[in-house]
Amino acid sequence: MTTAEHNGPERRDDDMVAAEYVLGVLPADERAAAARRIATEPDFARLVDAWEAQFAPMADAFEPAEPPASVKQALDARLFAAPAKPADRPGLWSSLALWRGLTVAALLALAAYVGLTYTSLQQPGDAQRFVASLAHDDTDVRYLVIYDGTRRDVALSHVAGERPAGRDFELWAIEGDAPPVSLGVIPAGSSVHLALDENLGKAIDRGAVFAITTEPLGGSPSGAPTGPVVAAGDLREI
Amino acid sequence: MQPSGCRSIAARYVCCETETHASTAITAFFPTTSVHTMTPDEITRLIFRTALKERAAFDLLYRHTSAKLFGVCLRILQDRTEAEEALQEVYVKLWTKADRFAASELSPISWLVAVARNHAIDRLRARKKPAKELDEAYDVADPAPDPETLAVAGGERRRIDACLDELDADRAMAVRGAYLNGDSYADLAARFNVPLNTMRTWLRRSLLSLRECLER
Repeated sequence: MTTAEHNGPERRDDDMVAAEYVLGVLPADERAAAARRIATEPDFARLVDAWEAQFAPMADAFEPAEPPASVKQALDARLFAAPAKPADRPGLWSSLALWRGLTVAALLALAAYVGLTYTSLQQPGDAQRFVASLAHDDTDVRYLVIYDGTRRDVALSHVAGERPAGRDFELWAIEGDAPPVSLGVIPAGSSVHLALDENLGKAIDRGAVFAITTEPLGGSPSGAPTGPVVAAGDLREI
Repeated sequence: MQPSGCRSIAARYVCCETETHASTAITAFFPTTSVHTMTPDEITRLIFRTALKERAAFDLLYRHTSAKLFGVCLRILQDRTEAEEALQEVYVKLWTKADRFAASELSPISWLVAVARNHAIDRLRARKKPAKELDEAYDVADPAPDPETLAVAGGERRRIDACLDELDADRAMAVRGAYLNGDSYADLAARFNVPLNTMRTWLRRSLLSLRECLER
């Protein structure tokens, strides 16, 4: 087709399929195949996203047209089987379970938004919440941390990346040049809570960062990290 | 505690400086009028809230974006009844899959348009019969671009347009036609009176040129 560049011919070809998908020219079967790849192959999905962004300015040419009210009524009937009314506020953690697989930026945004909303429900000065997105360029491991400074509670939401077989993830707090302090092995699950003792809480208040390493099952035998850091991040107030 | 504003590196998504507070009453976002033009940040927020299954946010999202998305469905499907069905399905999708937005790098309006456009094209490809003529009686809303659209356009628009202009006129037309009308390779081959495979080779070459131009 064309000269292969450093990305290799396969990726170049994928990029063309992505462009054809976004442009919309593919026949039904090839289009369905591309849609399946978007759902299952993050690299391919990124190519599609990049083409969507490139072509997006052309969408200005779509003239807005007011749909008839019957569409919204049918939509409401279909989704809610009732007329519109203010929604109940969902629980924070049950909602977060929906958010697995998101980008780090979006997670921070969500956390900031949820944090703001929930803060607004409380009395001023009632709670001090911080959020950290733990990530690393070399891995796909992503965790979202929400730290409640008042209750010394760390809530961890697993976003992406599996632990290697036969290994555990261990969470560490690192303050300045001091040796990392273990917060323990991260239990499996999409969202888990860890309680901090007062010393750790104070270290975090002073600006300690979080890091996750892979360790032998049950955690580091020495009390110090032995495996590579797979995700890290510092807290931001929300 | 008052929020401290845009402290996140995700400033594209999180921008609270201009808003007084993340109020629990969504109407507080739009204190004066229902014809308020939404900023991309406000639409982002509505998409997030929709993902959290907040019905009020979903209703507002519909109110502020359905005209644009209906325009997309109408243009591609060229059939009013089918466009109405498609629009309904698009918003069902948005209600159930709004969380996908967060994984995208697109602006909120571009993402919504992509969802609607892809759905309309899926419907078009699934059709057995050719499209009916567009119902000429359909009423089009004010075609003047709103400030949000203009803001999104800017330099990006010039870039894609400049790159399309570097292609031969008929190839640029094929690319634009495919994007805006949902033309398939088969449609384009018929229009340009060339075999299907020729059309595909031809368009792929155009896409390669386009990419080369967009990357430099």
